[in-house]
Amino acid sequence: MRGRRRVRRMTGPSGVGIGWRPEIAGFVAELPGLRFVEVVAEGVPASGPLPPGLTQLRDRAVTVVPHGVRLSLGGAEPVDPARVAHLAAVAQRLDAPLVSEHIAFVRAGGLEAGHLLPLPRSREAVDAVCANVARAQAELPVPIALEPIAALLDWPDDELTEADFLTEILDRTGALLLLDVANVHANARNRGADPLALLDRLPLERVAYAHVAGGAEHGGLYHDTHTDPVPTAVLELVGALCARRRPPALLLERDGHYPPAAELRAELDALASAAGFPAVT
Amino acid sequence: MTGAGSAPTPRAGLAERQAELVAALVAGGEPPTGFAPGPLAATRAALLRKRAGEVARHWPLLAAGLGARWSTTFTDWAAGRPTAGSLRDGWDLARALHDRHALPPAAAEELAVREARLRYDGVRAPRPRRVPAVGRAGGAVAVQIAGRVRLLRPAPRVSTRAGDGVPDAAGSELWISD
Repeated sequence: MRGRRRVRRMTGPSGVGIGWRPEIAGFVAELPGLRFVEVVAEGVPASGPLPPGLTQLRDRAVTVVPHGVRLSLGGAEPVDPARVAHLAAVAQRLDAPLVSEHIAFVRAGGLEAGHLLPLPRSREAVDAVCANVARAQAELPVPIALEPIAALLDWPDDELTEADFLTEILDRTGALLLLDVANVHANARNRGADPLALLDRLPLERVAYAHVAGGAEHGGLYHDTHTDPVPTAVLELVGALCARRRPPALLLERDGHYPPAAELRAELDALASAAGFPAVT
Repeated sequence: MTGAGSAPTPRAGLAERQAELVAALVAGGEPPTGFAPGPLAATRAALLRKRAGEVARHWPLLAAGLGARWSTTFTDWAAGRPTAGSLRDGWDLARALHDRHALPPAAAEELAVREARLRYDGVRAPRPRRVPAVGRAGGAVAVQIAGRVRLLRPAPRVSTRAGDGVPDAAGSELWISD
C-alpha cells in the first residue's frame, strides 16, 4: 500500500519513450518494452481521477515526466505561482523524477501567443529566465529540465550565441537540459547554421533526455510540426548526438495526424536503432 | 499574475518588447522595430495553424462540418483576433457563422448542445447553467435538465456540401507540446 505522503520516485528517464497523448493511449499501453513517457502537464488534473491510461502506466512502473507548455519561464513578468503549483502537484502525484519546461515565453502584455515564442539571446532575457526558473525551483519537489525551442524568427536584440545563451542559463540555474534534436535541426536549417557545431558546444553531460519529432518544409522553412514523420536528417542528428554523448533517454513526440500503429512502431524502432537502445515495440 | 500597472523594473525593456511582439503576431499590432517581416509572417501563420488544430479538437463537429474549408474559415476569422481559449474561440466562430447562415448542420447541433449546457455571454468564461435551458442553432434544438443535455431535434440537412473532408485536428491546447 502506498503511504499518505509518497516519497518513492520513479527512476529517471531511460531508453526510448513516447509522448503520451489521449489519442494514442491504446497504442502506448501496448508497447511491451516501454519504460518512460512524457505527459503534457497542463493536461493532467492536480486532483481527481487521472486519465486511465496514465494510471495503467504508473501501475507498470513506467516513468512519467510532466512536461509544461504554458509556464512562460522566459516571460519578463514573474511566472504565475498557480501554474508552478499545478506543475508541482502533477509531479508529486505521478511520482515523477523530474519535470520539464521550455526556454520560451507564451504570453505578454495580457495577450496569449498560443504557442512557444523565442527569447532574445540577451543578458536581460538570461536574467528573466533565471529568475523565473529559480521561482519555479523553489516550489517544485523535483529537478527541472529546460528545453530550447524551435523558432521561425530571431530577435534583432541578440547578443549571445545560442550555445552561450543556453549554457549560461543552465549554469546559473543548475537545471538539466532537455535537448530537442528536431529543434536543433530546425533552427540550424532555418538559420543556415551547422547543427553539429551547436552539439559540440552544448553541455551534453547535462542532458536529462532528448526529444525527437517530425516536421516538414513549407515556404522555404522547416517547421517542427509534430504531425509529420521524423525526417532522415533528424535521425542522423540523433546518431551524431549519441556518438558525442548518448543521452539517458530519447522521446518521440507526436501531436496529431497520427499514423497507423505500424508506422509509429517503425519510428520508435528507428529511434532505438539510431541511438543503440533496445526496441520498445 | 503581476502585470500591467506594476512599477517599472529593470526588465521593463524586455516586457515591452515581448508585448509588442505578441501583439504583432496575434492582434494585428505594428511589427516591433528590427524584426524581419518574412519570419514574422511565418510565425504568425504557424501560430494560426496550431490554434486551428486546438480549436478543432474542442469543436470537432464544427471542424468536420466545414471539412476542407475549416482551415481557411478559421484562419480568416482568427487572424488579428487574439485567442480567448479554444472553447471560446470555437464558440465565437460558430455564432458568427450561424449569423451568416453558414453553419453546417452537424456544427449547428454541436453549438445547440453547448448553448443548452453552458451560459456564455461572449465576454466571460462559459459557466454551467443552473436551471433547465433550451439551446437552438440552425434548426437544431437541444435541451438541458439537471445538467443532462439531449439533442431534441437535429439540424435539417438541406445541402450536400457539408462534411467534404477531414479536419486538421492536430493537437489540443492541453496536449500539444514542443
